[in-house]
Amino acid sequence: MFSTHLVFSSDGVRPLSSLARGEGGTVVDTARSDPHRRDRLLALGVTPGARVTMLQTFPGIVFLCDQTELAIERAVAEAILVRPGEGHR
Amino acid sequence: MSCHVAQEHAAGRPSLLTLRAHPLRIALVGQPNVGKSVVFGWLTGRYVTVSNYPGTTVAVTKGRALIGAEVCDVIDTPGVNALEGTLSEDERIARQVLAAGEADVVVQVADARNLRRALMLTSQIAAFGKPTVLVLNMIDEAWARGVAIDARQLSAILAIPVIETVATEGRGLQELRDALPGAAVPCAPVSKTSAERALWAHELTERVRRVSTISRAYVQEALARAMRRPLTGLPILAAVLYALYLFVGVFGAQTLVRLLEDGVFGRGVNPAAIWLCNRFIPIPFVRDFLVGQYGLITMGVTYAIAIVLPVVATFFLMFGFLEDSGYIPRLAIFCDRIFRVMGLNGKAVLPMVLGLGCDTMATMTTRILGTPKERLIAILLLALGIPCSAQLATILGILGGISFAALATLFGVVLGQMFLVGWLAARVLKGERSEFIMELPPIRWPKIGNLLTKTRLRIWWYLGEAVPLFLVGTVLLFGLDRVGALIWISRAGRPIVTGLLGLPPATAQILVMGFLRRDYGAAGLFQLAHTGQLTGVQAVVALTVMTLFVPCVANFLMMVRERGLKVGFALLAVITPVAIFTGAGLNYVLHALGVQF
Repeated sequence: MFSTHLVFSSDGVRPLSSLARGEGGTVVDTARSDPHRRDRLLALGVTPGARVTMLQTFPGIVFLCDQTELAIERAVAEAILVRPGEGHR
Repeated sequence: MSCHVAQEHAAGRPSLLTLRAHPLRIALVGQPNVGKSVVFGWLTGRYVTVSNYPGTTVAVTKGRALIGAEVCDVIDTPGVNALEGTLSEDERIARQVLAAGEADVVVQVADARNLRRALMLTSQIAAFGKPTVLVLNMIDEAWARGVAIDARQLSAILAIPVIETVATEGRGLQELRDALPGAAVPCAPVSKTSAERALWAHELTERVRRVSTISRAYVQEALARAMRRPLTGLPILAAVLYALYLFVGVFGAQTLVRLLEDGVFGRGVNPAAIWLCNRFIPIPFVRDFLVGQYGLITMGVTYAIAIVLPVVATFFLMFGFLEDSGYIPRLAIFCDRIFRVMGLNGKAVLPMVLGLGCDTMATMTTRILGTPKERLIAILLLALGIPCSAQLATILGILGGISFAALATLFGVVLGQMFLVGWLAARVLKGERSEFIMELPPIRWPKIGNLLTKTRLRIWWYLGEAVPLFLVGTVLLFGLDRVGALIWISRAGRPIVTGLLGLPPATAQILVMGFLRRDYGAAGLFQLAHTGQLTGVQAVVALTVMTLFVPCVANFLMMVRERGLKVGFALLAVITPVAIFTGAGLNYVLHALGVQF
């Protein structure tokens, strides 16, 4: 699990949880190690290629994914990998 | 390519003109909170509760619609994010409709803003091989946010009719009726992994959808932001609670109740009923039965209509407003960490807040929670600590008149107990907690029509559900009084009621009746307090015990229906001692501290 993070981090890919408020990016991969979590996220539109913007990090993480506002706990946000870049507008 | 199989299915699809053994069955399927129930209402003319949060519909509703010249059965299903993989209970209910062949045609209702997610679901619906129509609902909100969809191209690619609608205004629904005969099995990848289908949905969305940077939903977005950020969100929560207190606790529980209890019933209905009975009914037994101390009219009807109804009505109105605005789910962000200690996650805020309306309905709503353990804890906490609107009514009515400190003590003790019991349950019960992943619905200005319809139906429901039980309770009390059992109950309960709890002996029978319905018991306390028979401390203790009891017979039956007889009785066996001993402890502490209120 740690190795995945290392491999990706050299590519500029970071976990969603590391985005600051207002930062945006594109989803690269979701919860590869946990199929159940991955399916739940896919069903909510957190799919590779989806555009995300961090809306708030405290008391919980809230982010915009495509046109959906999602609230998630930190552990889940750590498993979503994004390539930082342009968010929503 | 992947559509060949699908097209073969489509060839054998039921046409609207063929003769059938049963009416054509149309199932409305789609993500939570996309407007399935609104579409259902337009098609069938039947109202099902519509709100602005996922999980309003947790059971299947059926109705009849006239499509063309044919009468069809329409089935409204709970919202689903997925139809395969690990499903929550409400998702399984929806899946069952498709899997069990209960539907001939599927109308997939989708939120036009979330095309990608909708298409993910389309590919799962396609696996059931049913003719389908895709409805892109809330197209106006999509446009307002700069989202435009080429419906014609999408329709061509999927090979099914795609209709754009604004269901709350009825726009596009005639087109939906016209399109139903053209329903076909969607041309979507069926036998692939979820990741591959996600890629398909993503690519198709990029092809037919254009998102411009212009958004015209400034006000809603600013409000949504203010509600979820702690610095603005917590003051907003305080303001909402205060408004709730003013409207329900002061206007409903005091102004309206006084008007009805003292005015309409005290000076009008009851004296008139007593006069009529004295005049026309020669048998004292029947007279007492109707207008005596435990009279059907002077007690049963007065409790239900004069004391509880005004508060229930004002609460339902305010609550409906909050439901439709999309505010309630945002509370989950603040609650997630606290709920985690109790083995739940932030999503549990929905059934908990709904419980303030009716614990019985909320017990059913726990279906939206992820795991059996979470459902059990939520059902336990609902029964233990969440006062329903009718009970809230009497609490606010009694304690609001005493002091704010009394009210704060009650809620403090009850919340503390819930927290403690939840914490213990999370450790004792086996099973898992699910992760907090929750969609926040958009903030909307509630539609007055929907708000009024919903409130009216809920008041009718209250009248149908609670009033008969109030009357049964009164008859029971009357009977017990006649055979002398009330005195016996008061005597038997004395060690607990007057000893442990420090209450007047008369409260024993009220507590017993509290088992039938908490609010009925509370209404009895209301009258005791009203006539000066309870001190401040006694009122707080009695109401705390009553609040911690299982809400009512209906709630108990719902617990049994959802979780089985054994679990139902186990919950009862946990809750009752907790209620009594908490009351005893509170009584002891308040006296030791010399609190007066």
